[in-house]
Amino acid sequence: MTALLEIRELRKSFAGVHAVDGVSFDIRQGSITGLIGPNGSGKSTTIDCIAGFQQADGGRVMLAGSDITGRAAHDIARAGLMRTFQTVRVYEGLSLRSNLTIAAQQFDNATWSDELFRTRRYRLAAEAAEARARELIELVGLSRYIEAEAGILSYGQKKLLALAAALMPRPRIVVLDEPVAGVNPTRIREVEDVLRQLNAAGETFLIVEHNVEFITNLCHQVIVLDQGRKLAEGTAVEIHNDPRVLEAYLGMTPEMAEAEMRGAA
Amino acid sequence: MKATLIAAAALAFGALPWLTDSNYILGIAVSAAIYTVAAAALNLIYGYTGLLSFAQLGFWGIGGYASALTVMTFGGTFWQGLVWAGLINAALALVIGYPTLRTGRHAFVIVTLTFALLVTLIARDWVDLTRGPLGIPGLPAPSLFGFEFRTTSRFYWIAWAYAVLALAFLYALCTSRIGRTLVAIKQNEPLVRAQGISPMPYKLAAFAVSAAITGIAGGIFAFHLKIIDPLFLDFYYMQTFLIMVIIGGAGSFWGVVIAGVALSALPELLRFSSDFRMIIYGFVLLIAMLVMPGGLAGWFGQRRLARMRAALQ
Repeated sequence: MTALLEIRELRKSFAGVHAVDGVSFDIRQGSITGLIGPNGSGKSTTIDCIAGFQQADGGRVMLAGSDITGRAAHDIARAGLMRTFQTVRVYEGLSLRSNLTIAAQQFDNATWSDELFRTRRYRLAAEAAEARARELIELVGLSRYIEAEAGILSYGQKKLLALAAALMPRPRIVVLDEPVAGVNPTRIREVEDVLRQLNAAGETFLIVEHNVEFITNLCHQVIVLDQGRKLAEGTAVEIHNDPRVLEAYLGMTPEMAEAEMRGAA
Repeated sequence: MKATLIAAAALAFGALPWLTDSNYILGIAVSAAIYTVAAAALNLIYGYTGLLSFAQLGFWGIGGYASALTVMTFGGTFWQGLVWAGLINAALALVIGYPTLRTGRHAFVIVTLTFALLVTLIARDWVDLTRGPLGIPGLPAPSLFGFEFRTTSRFYWIAWAYAVLALAFLYALCTSRIGRTLVAIKQNEPLVRAQGISPMPYKLAAFAVSAAITGIAGGIFAFHLKIIDPLFLDFYYMQTFLIMVIIGGAGSFWGVVIAGVALSALPELLRFSSDFRMIIYGFVLLIAMLVMPGGLAGWFGQRRLARMRAALQ
């Protein structure tokens, strides 16, 4: 079976520093993959290169069998890869409704002239987007704020809004950059539930996150990066018991890590 | 309700020549219509898209010269002149915009400012084309199917009709998804890209539309003045458009339209005190900015937001 997203020998360096140094991995259709690693291990650079926000120096990225290496970010989004950002990005001055409907507008067939003259095609597209927006905003539990400007939301709520926006056009794969960093711990459970629900419905996720518990609970597959290289890959349990990972990532022994996890939970 | 109100206001302005035959008042009304359109065009690129363009002054001047030269040098009609004013400016906006919009917003400000200054220099120094500081006097009254717009009250129809058309077009644009996308680009460009939207065509289109509309406004205004000379590129015009946008509230369609009309009338209303009127005008602007830093629309917006926050507590 071919993978939905294939990363081959991805490389990127900044002024001689190898931020990403020959990383390869596959993401299966319908899976949740976690990408973890210590600060500066190349996680963010990896997903920036995948999503077209940075140009890789070498390597290849294939999405559903077609080569998307080096294509512009908006082009990759149109090909079905949506991403969120580590530092949350929403349109602060627009309503939640608009935040969501904008995210889908590139994916319907309404043209500029349809928009300007408010043709039937435009209205149908707008109605479909509206319905999808309501559904997703309900899913992330922000329905009561739908008319409010996104600027009034808390940081955690904005992360949820960003997640909903990424889901708007029913992408092939959603890349989440630290979806629960800064989110209230009780909310993290809700995000887990939402992602699990979406995954059950067939959505594929790649998640970069520091919260190991979140990753462990959710991911079918975990990839560990360290100093721009892939250190390990496997199920959450395998990763959890891999001494190399614990040393590089957590800087502690398995026993210490166990204690840490229990403390966090 | 809102649509009726707007239509009523537009018709009321249209009826002005029946209400007064004072050339003075009608002259102010022509300025108000034209300045408001130019301000609304600046609002499209600055208020909506977040790109501060000083090139508007250049577009205004090129529009004025293009239409004047079409009639006086190339033997065309006023209407052909307006078409050229629009086309030349749209083309120039694409040429300037394509390389400049790739750079940062600050670079865009500098390049557009330089462009405006360059146009001023050309108007003054390319004597063979523009007749230099002497300018081109005696621009004839436009005519359409034998009807001559010779008096100010007749010329007002042209300004009024153009204002209604241009504002209706800008309104349709700004309230469509295109307008909303422009705001999104202003607020968070990387997010726009992550959502599959390429910002460049939107920014270019906004700049070109803004340029064409400003240019045609300049063309009409030159024929209202009946003369064009390098003073047509006085920074006063740019300042006027910018003040209208800022006082009205950058990014608010109706805020800028209302400010455009009000601020065109204000200096004239202050004529009772001819010595101090520009000082009073300055004070009114200063106080307006202190009380409403986000402009008229920003002021109302803040109140709405506060109510919304209170309701959600």
